Amino acid sequence: MDAITDVFFDYVPVRTFWRVLLFAHFAVAAALLAATTLQSVAVLMPVRQAAGNFVSRVRAAPAASYVKPITILYVLNFLIGSWVYVKYRTYVRIPMEQLSHWWTVGTFEFKEHVMTMGIALLPAYWYFWRQPLTEQYATTRKWLVVFLAFSVWYAFLIGHVANDFRGVGA
Amino acid sequence: MTQTLDVHQGVSQLDRAPTTAAPKAATAEISRAGIFAIAFGISFMLLYTVFERLNWPFFTYHPAVGKLDFWMQRPRSGEGPPMYWYGWLVLSGMTAVVVSAIATLLPRPWLYRATLFSCVLAALWPALLAAGTFVADQVSFDAELLKSIWLSGIVALVAAAAISYLASAQWVQRMWVSWLWIVPVGGLIVLGYSLKTYFVR
Repeated sequence: MDAITDVFFDYVPVRTFWRVLLFAHFAVAAALLAATTLQSVAVLMPVRQAAGNFVSRVRAAPAASYVKPITILYVLNFLIGSWVYVKYRTYVRIPMEQLSHWWTVGTFEFKEHVMTMGIALLPAYWYFWRQPLTEQYATTRKWLVVFLAFSVWYAFLIGHVANDFRGVGA
Repeated sequence: MTQTLDVHQGVSQLDRAPTTAAPKAATAEISRAGIFAIAFGISFMLLYTVFERLNWPFFTYHPAVGKLDFWMQRPRSGEGPPMYWYGWLVLSGMTAVVVSAIATLLPRPWLYRATLFSCVLAALWPALLAAGTFVADQVSFDAELLKSIWLSGIVALVAAAAISYLASAQWVQRMWVSWLWIVPVGGLIVLGYSLKTYFVR
């Protein structure tokens, strides 16, 4: 990991590098948030036919079409997050502890567990959403979508709080 | 509006067609790839929870000095905070791959019962230990034995074996995919509870 960052540091200032990486983490997270939310809506409140307002059109969107982007974005953001996590541990968490921001530390610790559970479920998520979809596993598919959406929302909100403590623009 | 309805009706029907028009697939067996994916999910989450609680990382990373140590290393003076999370991930990932590969080779009834056994054991062992510790702290006589991790382990092992043996074949089969949502919820409850020191300071 250090060898990779050292190559970048020959061309980009250290501070800028980590800020760009953190921003990339945020940007991918925002895309993932949109995809998981839209898929959750399509799965939890499906309608046969789109008519009227924006919400009912979202509800009618084919839920299976989100699977590939969600899988790719989830893995990509997990990798970026794992990389940024090094900086969090040394540069952010230590001052958090010194200033007794224990709730922020605790909720961020929980975030790593939530995301780990999410990444572990991805192969099963991919499998159950393969075509043709079997009616027998509709509940399992729904549960997987809801859990992934929960993990992404939780990670996004808690990550945002940690960023506000010491991150881009903080 | 009429045109929009037509277009979306088409898309909507395309999306739902495989679900309704595949009665053969509805009763189809889970493929080997599916067995691997499901077993990987269940075993990874279960093992991650266990390894985190026992603090068994495959390696420890010291980010301040960029050093990697095999297994678990306590913080050392001048080397900054150690990171175990990567080590838990790698150990859980490697063991889950092995467990899932074995799962694809097992006869299905064995696989369903082995999964039930593992999940019940993982739930009962810490639950019995916590209950034993609670009881030992409450009673007036010496009940330190109840705090033994091995005593609770043996009781949990026997109970898990009995439950997985006595459970009906249909129920065990029906439950198998459900572990995909029971294990992460249970795991997050255990892991969340372990973080309580951060929230009660």
